[in-house]
Amino acid sequence: MKSKVSALMDGELDQQDVSVIIEAIKKDNELRDEWKTYHLIGDALRQSSRLSMNIASGVSQKLKTEPTVLSPNISRTTERKQNHKVLAFSMAASIIAMISGWVIMHNLYKPQQIVVAEQSKRDTLTASPIVVSSPPLIHNYSHPPVEMNDYLFVHREFSPGVTMNGQVTNVNNVTEYHERYGR
Amino acid sequence: MSRRIFALFSLFLLAAISFQTACAQELSRSTESALDWLKIMADAPRRHNYSGTFVYYADGHVETSRIVHKTDQTGERERIEVLDGSPRIVFRNNDEMQCYLPESKKIFTEKRWFRKFFPDILPFPLDDVDRNYYVKEAGQERVSDYECQVLSLIPRDSFRYGYQFWIDTKTGVPVKAAVVNGSQIIEQFAFAQLEIDREIDSSQLKPGQTLIADDWKTTNLLTSILNEGELQWQIKSLPAGFKKLVEMKRNLVEKTALVDHIAVSDGLATVSVFIEPISKDAPSPVPGFFTSRGAINIYVRTLDDNKITTVGEVPLETIKLIGDSVVKKN
Repeated sequence: MKSKVSALMDGELDQQDVSVIIEAIKKDNELRDEWKTYHLIGDALRQSSRLSMNIASGVSQKLKTEPTVLSPNISRTTERKQNHKVLAFSMAASIIAMISGWVIMHNLYKPQQIVVAEQSKRDTLTASPIVVSSPPLIHNYSHPPVEMNDYLFVHREFSPGVTMNGQVTNVNNVTEYHERYGR
Repeated sequence: MSRRIFALFSLFLLAAISFQTACAQELSRSTESALDWLKIMADAPRRHNYSGTFVYYADGHVETSRIVHKTDQTGERERIEVLDGSPRIVFRNNDEMQCYLPESKKIFTEKRWFRKFFPDILPFPLDDVDRNYYVKEAGQERVSDYECQVLSLIPRDSFRYGYQFWIDTKTGVPVKAAVVNGSQIIEQFAFAQLEIDREIDSSQLKPGQTLIADDWKTTNLLTSILNEGELQWQIKSLPAGFKKLVEMKRNLVEKTALVDHIAVSDGLATVSVFIEPISKDAPSPVPGFFTSRGAINIYVRTLDDNKITTVGEVPLETIKLIGDSVVKKN
């Protein structure tokens, strides 16, 4: 069954098997985990910056097991001590703030990475299999087919450096195109 | 007593922090002098006459082009001729462009909707550039016998590439421009030879006798620029810093139906989204990513019976985000 999950991800199953395995994944938790793991592996292999990982359950589990902190009563005899503590805290806070100020200042010299907060949305997308109109396989070609030249030509506004239609210098492009489309 | 010293010391520390934070906030904006250089560079190619030869270099591929540019009371006129491989000559009269392909006897006409031709590559106004890139001066270097101010544009997030410009200190004309990904140069334009402010004969800016013949086929690539809301497509959410530039109907070569074209930009990098119905006679589109020469990335996907092709000089992630957020208006 597990191998079928993998085959489903690669788009290698026929229509009948697809519906059978999707039903099985819906019912079986273990298979669903398997499905998620394969997606995570796929993301890691594609070096995607956003991994399809669901950390929600892990976090809520941690929160559940965390002990409740009850603060003790402050007695009058320790008031003097407390004052000292406040000063010590303010000093510690000042030092931390100064260090973080310094860190912030130095980070500004470097480009800051934006973390795209779409994790939860993506999780729901990949958590259970859905039938999509386009095949799940993503092709990566180093040479775009020759038909792309039209778009590049228009996008770059005739700028030098872009090969144009009717002007293909890369022979591989043409053969690849012919092989793929048979014309 | 000791408590007072403590208090004073804490106060001093707090003052030191607030001073540092103030400095940090100022650094987050590009320095005024760096932005001044950017303004000079944006303006100079439109104000000066220049002619020369420049080289495009990316992925081990070199392409040489000759440029002649004249500015007078009628505006700007320009001729760019690609010297390597199949000949290609582009004439520009302000925003009207004509591209001649002598081998196939074809002429393509197009209206300029963004600045893509080296050395005129910066938009006006420059506000978006400062918002999306940290601009800083990076010393002086000599390029093609011109003393140049080097300007680094560091992207403020990972949605875009960085840029580096070498600007002639006397006239402000950029002599070299590079697109960088971290410390790696992914494509660059550089003048190998350049003359600025020489008199330019107008005859050089018109198609010569050999290019004027009856049997050339002219294709207008742009059919119409659309008003807001005319297109049945929209890009639902753009990555931070990107704005829509223009919506057009396109008459692409070898396409029977018109293609919808939405262009977006962050001030420097542009991304084009082409949407067209999938033709029954044509092979079905292959969804996926394509990398082209230099900084260009391509992403193809299908939506109902339409093919969406997203093309731009931005990282693959950004191309995918933009391509995936195309939706049909209800």
